Amino acid sequence: MIELGSTTRRAIDAAGLGPIREKLEAGVRLSVEDGVQLFNTPEVAAVGALANRVREQRWGDLTYFNRNLHVNATNVCEASCIFCSFARLKTGDPESYTMSLDQAVGRVRALREEFITEVHIVNGLNPDLPWEYYTDLLRGIKAERPDIHIKGFTAVEIHYFAEKYGKSYEQVLTELVEAGLGSLPGGGAEIFHPRARKKLCHDKVDGDGWLEVHRVAHRLGLRSNCTMLFGSIETIEERVDHLVRLRALQDETGGFQTFIPLRFHNENNRLRRLPEPTGYDSLRTMAVSRLMLDNIDHIKAYWIMLGIKLAQVSLAFGVDDLDGTVREERIYHMAGAKTPQELTRTELVQLIRDAGRVPVERDTLYRIVAEA
Amino acid sequence: MTRSSTDTPGEPKDTRYRVACVGYTNAWPLTRHLDPARFDVFGSVPSEAARKLKTGEADIGLIPVASLFSDGDYRVVPGLAIGCDGDVASVLLVGETPIEEWDSIALDGASRTSVVLAQILLRGPLAEKLGGRELRVFGVDPGTPAFHAQGKTGAVVIGDAARNLPERLTTRIDLGRVWKEWTGLPFVFAVWAGRPDLDPDAIAGLRESAALGLPERQLAPEADRTYLTEHIRYALDDRALMGLRRFAALGKQAGFFTHEDVSLYGPPRTRLRVDLDTLLSKGADGERLTYEEGVRLATQGRVEDLGNAAHLRRMALHPGKEVTYIISRNINYTNVCVTACKFCAFYRPKNHAEAYLLSKDQISVKMDELVKVGGIETLIQGGLNLALGIEYYEDLFRWMKAGWPGVALHALSPEEVFHIMSVSKLTMDQTLDRLIDAGMDSIPGGGAEVLVDSVRKRIAPLKCTSDEWLEVMRQGHKRGLRSSATMMFGMGETPAHRVEHLLRLRDLQDEHGGFTAFICWTFVPDNTYITPANNTAADYLRVNAVARLMLDNFDNLQASWVTQGPGVAQASLYMGCNDFGSVMLEENVVSAAGSTWSMTIADVEHNIRTAGFVPVRRNMRYEHLDVRGIVTPPSARV
Repeated sequence: MIELGSTTRRAIDAAGLGPIREKLEAGVRLSVEDGVQLFNTPEVAAVGALANRVREQRWGDLTYFNRNLHVNATNVCEASCIFCSFARLKTGDPESYTMSLDQAVGRVRALREEFITEVHIVNGLNPDLPWEYYTDLLRGIKAERPDIHIKGFTAVEIHYFAEKYGKSYEQVLTELVEAGLGSLPGGGAEIFHPRARKKLCHDKVDGDGWLEVHRVAHRLGLRSNCTMLFGSIETIEERVDHLVRLRALQDETGGFQTFIPLRFHNENNRLRRLPEPTGYDSLRTMAVSRLMLDNIDHIKAYWIMLGIKLAQVSLAFGVDDLDGTVREERIYHMAGAKTPQELTRTELVQLIRDAGRVPVERDTLYRIVAEA
Repeated sequence: MTRSSTDTPGEPKDTRYRVACVGYTNAWPLTRHLDPARFDVFGSVPSEAARKLKTGEADIGLIPVASLFSDGDYRVVPGLAIGCDGDVASVLLVGETPIEEWDSIALDGASRTSVVLAQILLRGPLAEKLGGRELRVFGVDPGTPAFHAQGKTGAVVIGDAARNLPERLTTRIDLGRVWKEWTGLPFVFAVWAGRPDLDPDAIAGLRESAALGLPERQLAPEADRTYLTEHIRYALDDRALMGLRRFAALGKQAGFFTHEDVSLYGPPRTRLRVDLDTLLSKGADGERLTYEEGVRLATQGRVEDLGNAAHLRRMALHPGKEVTYIISRNINYTNVCVTACKFCAFYRPKNHAEAYLLSKDQISVKMDELVKVGGIETLIQGGLNLALGIEYYEDLFRWMKAGWPGVALHALSPEEVFHIMSVSKLTMDQTLDRLIDAGMDSIPGGGAEVLVDSVRKRIAPLKCTSDEWLEVMRQGHKRGLRSSATMMFGMGETPAHRVEHLLRLRDLQDEHGGFTAFICWTFVPDNTYITPANNTAADYLRVNAVARLMLDNFDNLQASWVTQGPGVAQASLYMGCNDFGSVMLEENVVSAAGSTWSMTIADVEHNIRTAGFVPVRRNMRYEHLDVRGIVTPPSARV
């Protein structure tokens, strides 16, 4: 049991969090009201200290990272999510693209000499592709790199496949697993609550459907991740509702490995007038997630999304996993960019060490590849 | 502390930790890099490793988990284990005939864990196959069960023997898989365990060994590589612990174990943290901390503890919801400089193509822009330009005061004051008196870097000494000037150096109370000649919080969003800072070194507000201003 120092406890109690602290110390699950109170507590360092305690109880100073390759095979997407800057509605639209299988597999082939343990595949909902495109894609990648774990297709895509190709979730998943799929990423969750979801993404799978896909996946033995898009038009209550729904499914299946809060960005989409969530909001969201999701192992931060500095600070706010493009060698550094496009492994390891943590390289299923 | 003490007269005692471990293939990634200078390792079968730990012949054991629940009061090293999550390939039920036909089973006496696991599974998920029959169970010598598996007798085989079975054994049931299908959880076979008082140093050594050994699995021969990377799982994470606890509960229920508790060694820092508590509490209450106490906080304090203690202190000093900021403009009148500091990306030599000296016309435009947006302060700083004597500054200040009387002149770092003294051959008294007479309102705290001469000599050999820097401030304060104080860190100095810096500022503040605020920031390395160290955001928040706790006689701490970005600056408002610095119409020095954050008035207010505070404008003396720009008395603020 990690004890909070009395001064830190004083600061936590001064912020009105005494009852929540006592619950956490007694191992009592936090309620929806607790979640709302945590979000509405201005003292982010006090909330962070509680989250840090939970994080250290689980992982001590261990901080995970992995090396992967992202493949987005097509950005053609029938869905019209208003927060998206990536999708193009139809094949042939300006800036739309769909990789040939050879191009997509070529992305993996190009990294033949690189040490990576995972390929992460997320695509648009493309109406012009046959089912075999996806299974062939998986087989192609596996043929190229049989050792690599493929984490691919959000629940939104799985739902779309089921509808479009007339299959059950189970069939879709089973066929993808046979072709080489290893686990599901957590994207597409956005906000489950119907009010916000209707505004954000009215024409893609609803919250229950998203959860059902993961339920089926877990039953088939697949592990998966889960996410929440925060800082757009949702309320604090809707954030907590989202977390609690994930927690309930996790109670049922235990299949989620990692929760990743995703920060809303306002460039090049229909919400550009909305201010982006601040660093403060990002920190408190990660901390509250750690506290509410008492049955999910890991909380992950993307440094690309937060910036390197905030991502490092998040390691004291409940986060135990840092993600983002990591390369063994940096080819060049783009001058003038606020955050670099990629970090070398050495830089990332140093960043974690400077935060007083112990870096550990993992694979997709959180098996330790190396303590860095 | 349990180190070995094999007393051999005349020879030094062997003080190494005695380690008993299993000699199976799956153990080497954990054990092969145990430092022979610190660990005396002997390998054996699992039951023997457990026995050695039990009798005290070993300090640490890589022991089968069954021993945890029957042998005594052990603690488990967190993070590391030998387990599986599905097929394990090396713990199997085997036989010549299908399991449905068996009447007895041979168990390996060397491994209690697999024996218990097999019996639990035979009574659980495998019971159906036996049609309710109880198998006759008999123990055999380590390594021999496979030979006993004949006819209607099955066997549990473990370890390397299970991976090289004779062909006649056609029934092969992987117990890792059966467990996984039944419970959905990983199974843990062995853990590092020891007595509760085991030295944290030993635990650190075990982790170091794993850190070196685990990657080498990739170099193992093909057959082993697959086994070690895909079947064996070395993480003792939450799920593995759940699996371990489930096994303990089932084993106890079935009468194999005496208890089911798993207690882990805590993180080694826990003890330290409680010790630090007194110091954190003193700091939070505004009591004076000594140098030694400061160094302890700076080296051992965790950011969340330091930050929360600093926040308590900050709230005691500023109980309202306000966070202040000022609208200001840097006027870097020249970049010509003779000091060539290694950390600086701004300066240029005299005849360099990019060297400049601003004209009055240029300054005039800048001042008009500043006043237009409500600016009330200008920060006048520049290089040490040999062409500029006191007359230049007197003329500049008088001209600025006449043209823009509402703008305070926060002007000239101590370094520049020294420079004027030497160019114009004046005493410090004469220089300050003349500058104040010309309109200087305040001395900015820049150029302090780290006020420890050994550090200054290394990073800025031509700059004034710490004493000289402080003397300018002292003389200014004596004359009623207010000034700010700064620290730039992250250039290879030690935490003790930083604490020394803070104490020098605190001592001077005791004399006249002239410092308005303390501002620290991290060294930004691009375009400079110094290798940074400890200049990350995590370091910033720690150092800033330590400063809040040490500087008990400073009213204000300013956040440095210019170097840290708005998000980290927001967090610092709950870790000691009460001021958000300035909306700067122009900043040339830090941005020359690659720090590119910029904010408008609206941005600054948005960041203060979304962090849960009320933005309030202030003047150079940190007095709050109302919407008309008039100072509000402290009584009106609460």
